[in-house]
Amino acid sequence: MFRKVLIANRGEIAVRVIRTLREMDVASVAVFSDADRTSLHVRMADEAEWVGPSPSTDSYLRIDRILDAARKHGVEAIHPGYGFLSENADFAAACEAAGIVFIGPSAESIRRMGSKTAARQMAIAAGAPVVPGAHEALSGPADARVFARQFGYPLLLKAVAGGGGKGMRRVDSDAELDSAFRDASSEADRSFKNPELYVERLIERPRHIEIQLLGDRYGHMVHFGERECSIQRRHQKVMEECPSPLVAARPGMREAMGEAAIRVARSAGYYNAGTVEFLVDARGDFYFLEMNTRLQVEHPITELATGHDLVRLQLEVAAGEKLRLRQEDIAWSGSAIECRVYAEDPYNNFFPSPGKITRLTRPMGPGVRLDGCVYEGWTVPIDYDPLLAKLAVWSGTRDTAIARMLRALREYDVAGIHTNIAFFRQILEDDEFREARLHTRFVDEFLERRKPFMPPPELESIAEVVAAFHSKSSAPRTESASAPRSRWLEIGRHEALR
Amino acid sequence: MNQIAAVEPGVYSVLMDGRSYEARVEQSNGCVIVFIDGHRFEVEVRDPRRWSRQTGRQGVEGRLNVTAPMPGKIVRLLVAQGDTVEAGQGLLVIEAMKMQNEMKAPKAGRVVSLTALVGATVAAADVLAAIE
Repeated sequence: MFRKVLIANRGEIAVRVIRTLREMDVASVAVFSDADRTSLHVRMADEAEWVGPSPSTDSYLRIDRILDAARKHGVEAIHPGYGFLSENADFAAACEAAGIVFIGPSAESIRRMGSKTAARQMAIAAGAPVVPGAHEALSGPADARVFARQFGYPLLLKAVAGGGGKGMRRVDSDAELDSAFRDASSEADRSFKNPELYVERLIERPRHIEIQLLGDRYGHMVHFGERECSIQRRHQKVMEECPSPLVAARPGMREAMGEAAIRVARSAGYYNAGTVEFLVDARGDFYFLEMNTRLQVEHPITELATGHDLVRLQLEVAAGEKLRLRQEDIAWSGSAIECRVYAEDPYNNFFPSPGKITRLTRPMGPGVRLDGCVYEGWTVPIDYDPLLAKLAVWSGTRDTAIARMLRALREYDVAGIHTNIAFFRQILEDDEFREARLHTRFVDEFLERRKPFMPPPELESIAEVVAAFHSKSSAPRTESASAPRSRWLEIGRHEALR
Repeated sequence: MNQIAAVEPGVYSVLMDGRSYEARVEQSNGCVIVFIDGHRFEVEVRDPRRWSRQTGRQGVEGRLNVTAPMPGKIVRLLVAQGDTVEAGQGLLVIEAMKMQNEMKAPKAGRVVSLTALVGATVAAADVLAAIE
């Protein structure tokens, strides 16, 4: 095993990796930008190195600076986390060239899967079903129009180099095509430095279900079953569960998806952790979507349901060990749910809400796991993705897991910024969610149908009393502080749950 | 026995009619914001001797400012000064924390001022445009 590993990332995933490194008695090296000097991953790591100014293009995306830090600290391997350089084939190649192990697949596998069009062709060759779509990048909106004439609307424009919903647009008519193409292309250019788009038929109200894979360098690969990631907003997952209620109810579906995923990954000579994403239509047919050549944000629910530490397994196979697990060794138990807690205001168009965390109470108790990077007094920087923490729970059944998540969310208090914590409570109380009628448009439809969340009547008067008490006890003592409470108080307006 | 007890900074335990509540308090622009079990209440606490008229909220009549909801960068302008816009029409695109957000017209009218510049960094509450 390695003695020292650098984490080329920040935020909760850097903290997550450091935790397993510590359990394995491997020293950790954090990297940080100006904005992250006081961030939790720097505080937790054994060693830390500054890699540049706050913009990620000047720090976390600088291959040269990351490698300089790795050499300076004498690390044997680099864990890329997710995002940033994790799916950058040049970075993986540069690590290998520098004699440092990249904890992930080969540069060649990343390259092959990184092109969505090439990945589709590989999936077709491997016998996995795919959504009808273009085989090559589009030269402009006119190409998409030709495709629309053949397959009809709605269609989906996607970045060739894409991932995470960036550079993706739904198009319902010819009229929308030009502006959607321009927006998607410029977003793709900014996010991936590649403006190329391709087009697919849009499957209406699909489920998004993905298969977790892990393989060693000797051709042995297993799957860890599926995750249901249909609860998304703006094509970004916000809540995931394992097992998928759909897959759990259909004998043989997990095995069929798992085998298809392994076939696709094998055809790219894949090793280490990876995830094959599928769209599943109303009939339960599944279609290859793409392969993510890294550890996923939502990996904790697979860990909770299977009992395996995926980061530990990543490190072992990266260090050249054989994967001892056989497929039949992997078993699933109970139900796990994850909520991605973001610094954003779900009732103001999900606007990011950076700022200082003035108070923090974390949920605890049975079956609760919190992967976070925040602490009281920390200022959430505006420079990066606003993910604060991933709250995951495990329980014996889906219903009790939902109840446990609701309980944990009620314990969770983050003050000073807006978060989507209360928004998850509303989703978890929703009948459609409870009946597992999930699809990727779920959040949009939920936002339209959700009823105002009215507080029990007594809470308003309690709020008044608390506000008066708080003002009295926090204000400097003056005569007015002893004025009768009734004259002091005026209720402003109260808003529904935020 | 005290009905209200300060238990942590900004956190109060309330016992009322035998029931236990926890209230969390934040101060914001002269308002006290109280959270109880996920419900949010804005309470205005007034000192009667320092009473001043509440500034009226801007209605749909007259000029309405469009302000930045967060710190970020202007990436694109979708209208020009003098344009007539519909309520809800996109005015400009602002990027923060890797997310692009379209700022929409709060009402129908004419863009009488457009101070935002592409590439400019803006702070929360900066006035970007005005519709009349």
